[in-house]
Amino acid sequence: MKTMLRYPLAVAALTAGLGLNVLAGSSPGQVDFGKFAPPGDGGQFVEIQLNSNLLSLTAQVLEKQQPDAAKLLRSVQLVRVNVVGLTDENRAEVTKRVRQIRHDLAHQGWEQNVVVQEKNGDDVGIYTKTRGGEALAGIVITVIEPKGEVVLINIVGDIRPDQVALLGEKLDVKPLKDIGAALEGAALRK
Amino acid sequence: MRVRVMSAPVVFLTSTTPSMNPPPLPPRTRRPARRLWLWGLLVTPLLLLALLAAGVASCFRLGSDARAVRNELFKSSGVEWRQQIAVNAGWLTLGAVRAGLSRIRLDPAARAALQSVHAAGVGVYQLPTGTPPPNRAAMLASADSAMTARGWERVVGVIDGRDLVAVYFPKKVSVRRLKCCVLVFDGKEMVLVSAQGNPEPLVQYALAQPSLGAQTGWLAQR
Repeated sequence: MKTMLRYPLAVAALTAGLGLNVLAGSSPGQVDFGKFAPPGDGGQFVEIQLNSNLLSLTAQVLEKQQPDAAKLLRSVQLVRVNVVGLTDENRAEVTKRVRQIRHDLAHQGWEQNVVVQEKNGDDVGIYTKTRGGEALAGIVITVIEPKGEVVLINIVGDIRPDQVALLGEKLDVKPLKDIGAALEGAALRK
Repeated sequence: MRVRVMSAPVVFLTSTTPSMNPPPLPPRTRRPARRLWLWGLLVTPLLLLALLAAGVASCFRLGSDARAVRNELFKSSGVEWRQQIAVNAGWLTLGAVRAGLSRIRLDPAARAALQSVHAAGVGVYQLPTGTPPPNRAAMLASADSAMTARGWERVVGVIDGRDLVAVYFPKKVSVRRLKCCVLVFDGKEMVLVSAQGNPEPLVQYALAQPSLGAQTGWLAQR
């Protein structure tokens, strides 16, 4: 039971530190991954959705001690995380669905920034949607670990490229740190 | 209580003509104050007793939101859950505790928690021995439906092996009166926690802890 308390704690810390088709959400950077069904017994399933109300409330709380983090959180409208464990029953279907999401993103004006396909089959894709060329309206990270799980992350807001690395730092999400560094590098080259 | 004083009709007799009217009634007097005092003395202790009984009873009764989830989960699982404990502390109780402990040296975490939580309720329920645990996904769906109907939304849902964790917040949140409801099930025991308060002291405390990074790392590595 104690270990289970880590989940809400981790989410509290996360907030403090910071269908099948892809459908356009209310914001241009929002992606509706649709509903995922939890896998059978033993499979992992995580759904996190932090909306603007909760994020701005967190920013309000952090304002005094971590003004940078608070400012960053105010620029974020939504953080959504889906983790679905792959079992023999759902592997084919879920993997296909994530690939379809990637395909749809590419056809809806999302820029594919990073694609990593490792020898063990792990497949990471990072997509961004820009807003006026200067800020990001949304970031989507997709991870397929054929022997483990799929991970989908959607961060929506009005995020400056230089904030992405900070966001990755705050959430300690390696792909975000990588893309942050890449975006900053691209900005410097321009 | 309002006492109406009825004045007797005044009859003027101008001559010796005998009057056909009945003799005037004697004026009504105020109910004796003594009687009111007696009523007060009788009713006040009864009222206090009833209030006390209601207060004590509410200490062993979950808040309405947690109760709604619990009832929905009981109904949907079709299992006879055994209640281990159900306690509830409202703002009055916790306010008294806060005031009582204000001069006592407390662990900073405990003090932060005490300052943050203004009302809380916990219910622990156990599956009878030998009963197969209900389907976690179905439990999550039932809890979702109960909470959504009450204007809450699920912020976190985790199913991992035998474990189920769900965290709900109202759709409209405010820092000073933040409500939260947490459901945890480990295959044998189900814990329902509802709390209301101001998270600021607790968050400030958590931010001051160097181990916070380790907590965030758990999620980040996924």
